[in-house]
Amino acid sequence: MTTQEAPPITQSAPHKRRLKAPGNRSFSKPARYVMLAALVLFSGFPLYWMLNTALSEDSELYGQAQGWWPHWERLADFGDLIGSVPIFKWLTNSVVIAGGTTLLSLIFAVLAGYALSRFKFYGKGAAGFLLFATQMLPEALLVVPIYALFASLGLLNGMGGLILANVAFTMPVSVWIIKGAIDAIPYEIEEAAAVDGCPRVTILSLVLTPLILPSIAAAAVINFFDGWNEFLLAKTFIAERDLWPASVGLASFIGQYLTSLNSVMAAALLFTLPALIFFLLVQRRIVSGLTAGSVKG
Amino acid sequence: MAKLSLRNISKRFGDTQVIHDFSAEVDNGEFLVLLGASGSGKSTLLRIIAGLTDASAGDVIFDNLRVNRQSPRERDIAFVFQSYALYPHLTVRENIAFPLALDKFKGWHHIPGVSTIARRVFGSSKDIVKQVASVSSMLELDEYANRKPGGLSGGQRQRVALARALIRNPSMFLLDEPLSNLDAKLRAELRGEIVRLHRLTGKTFVYVTHDQVEAMTMATQIVILHNGIVQQHATPQEIYVRPANTYVARFIGSPPMNLMTADVTDGQPALGGLRFPAPEQLRLGNGTVTLGLRPEHLTVSADVDGPGLAGTVRRIEDLGADTLIGVQPDPALGLNMWELNQDDLLWIRQTGQTRLMAGDPCTVSPEARMASYFDSDTGLNLVSAGKDSDAGMLPTRG
Repeated sequence: MTTQEAPPITQSAPHKRRLKAPGNRSFSKPARYVMLAALVLFSGFPLYWMLNTALSEDSELYGQAQGWWPHWERLADFGDLIGSVPIFKWLTNSVVIAGGTTLLSLIFAVLAGYALSRFKFYGKGAAGFLLFATQMLPEALLVVPIYALFASLGLLNGMGGLILANVAFTMPVSVWIIKGAIDAIPYEIEEAAAVDGCPRVTILSLVLTPLILPSIAAAAVINFFDGWNEFLLAKTFIAERDLWPASVGLASFIGQYLTSLNSVMAAALLFTLPALIFFLLVQRRIVSGLTAGSVKG
Repeated sequence: MAKLSLRNISKRFGDTQVIHDFSAEVDNGEFLVLLGASGSGKSTLLRIIAGLTDASAGDVIFDNLRVNRQSPRERDIAFVFQSYALYPHLTVRENIAFPLALDKFKGWHHIPGVSTIARRVFGSSKDIVKQVASVSSMLELDEYANRKPGGLSGGQRQRVALARALIRNPSMFLLDEPLSNLDAKLRAELRGEIVRLHRLTGKTFVYVTHDQVEAMTMATQIVILHNGIVQQHATPQEIYVRPANTYVARFIGSPPMNLMTADVTDGQPALGGLRFPAPEQLRLGNGTVTLGLRPEHLTVSADVDGPGLAGTVRRIEDLGADTLIGVQPDPALGLNMWELNQDDLLWIRQTGQTRLMAGDPCTVSPEARMASYFDSDTGLNLVSAGKDSDAGMLPTRG
């Protein structure tokens, strides 16, 4: 028999107390910091190496060993790179494509997710499954048929067509995320809104959407990064250099005979930043949304 | 202001019929309580009145207008949910202002995005702010006006829900077990609050509950439902004094009415040798009848030789002001306790404390003229039968 120690009385509010199961002591503070540092290093080092490479001399990259510290004085040469290719044009294209993909995909996903969650209709199960099934097909498989389709519809060589194609690939996951979120909202809230005079569209926009904002934000992140990183469709559909998104533009640095590694890395850095900013903006919403008041209990 | 008529309402979900041919007339200003155990169809009925669920058959009539096809909004009702159903993302003030702000919406205000702005603009308009303030102070919600529902206790949340219903000034209030999620003390407090609102507004209230205390204390009339069939529709007093059938007799009252099978010879019921004077309206031949006695119409004494039914005290529940005494009748009497009687005990309610202890022999004497008589086969009250006990045949009050 072991004697159970009474838990120490703490002064902190209950919700701030850490849950500690007896016998399952969590790691000590220093150990926790060491592990966190290792994780940060692990995921952060490639980013650092990207910066380091971007700021290295050609001679270093192809000759002697690359130094551990970036040559900050080379920051000025970034200007040359920006001058030589329309990188800002490409980044703007990427923002339009990723933003358009996100917006369109979310609108569809909220509507479809709501229908799948709240309505009973013939073929509902099949519709849900088909949405999933589209995810089983690799993009590369569908490039050719979509190309043929877009060619006949005149949607090639334009951002609109690219957005449409992207939405087809990103929307299904969003639909399922949003359906799950709506499932968790008590139906009474909608009924209360109906009694208060909301038609269905207003219930959706005034009541439901704010409540599922965290899930919408999560779906937005997925959609935006899908649209931002998408390469295959963009490369195939868009021939005109000025319409390229940054992902295609970045790839064009890799020449057949010569690849300027430090230029590629410099462009890649610029390519990463907007996505990072978008994530930081949205991430805040995800966290604050999760702590919003519940209905009961 | 509305008079509510329900005509032959039926509802089935697939193969299960949850409401059988329900009809009722509710005058303006009444407080109708739909009372029943879970699964009795009471909530479904309320939702049909509200327009949140469609009836399979029958008509819902407000004043002289058939509203079957109207939306909840068009029916001009307010609905209070058991789960409060507040908007978690809005503050208390915005929650209360919500229906009024929506009242001001014109067609194009419903466009997504526009609606969000319109709700805010209308919600902060002078007249709405004023009304919200007066309703909040009436329900003592002023200090929470800027909190979100997540930061309120259950009682406060239900107050907000009541305020949201009240501010609309609807023609009818529908409440679906609004107090079920609250603790006993708050329940009593809010009961008083709701009765006060009923007096104040003079509107029709329809209130669903499974709690007989709520029904007895708040209602001007009660409908008792069991498996979708009306058992009785009458005033609380009437239901307590003259339950229409054995179900109602057992459902209302705590502990419920004691039911026993009495033998009838030449129109004279007798219980364990004790004769009961049959009421005049009662025409009995020979056979049996189910006899009911409320616990407060029985007295118990330690005097074993006195007139009455001999028995042994089995349980004593001291409630403070009252004491409940469970007596097991002497088996030699051959008393046939009714099948549902818990532990086959006769329950007696006595004011104050008792000196009796479990195991003591005792005598139980009934107040014979207070007895109720039910048909042993159908369970219908023989005295009021044909008057107001027929399921489905509902008289209006007054």
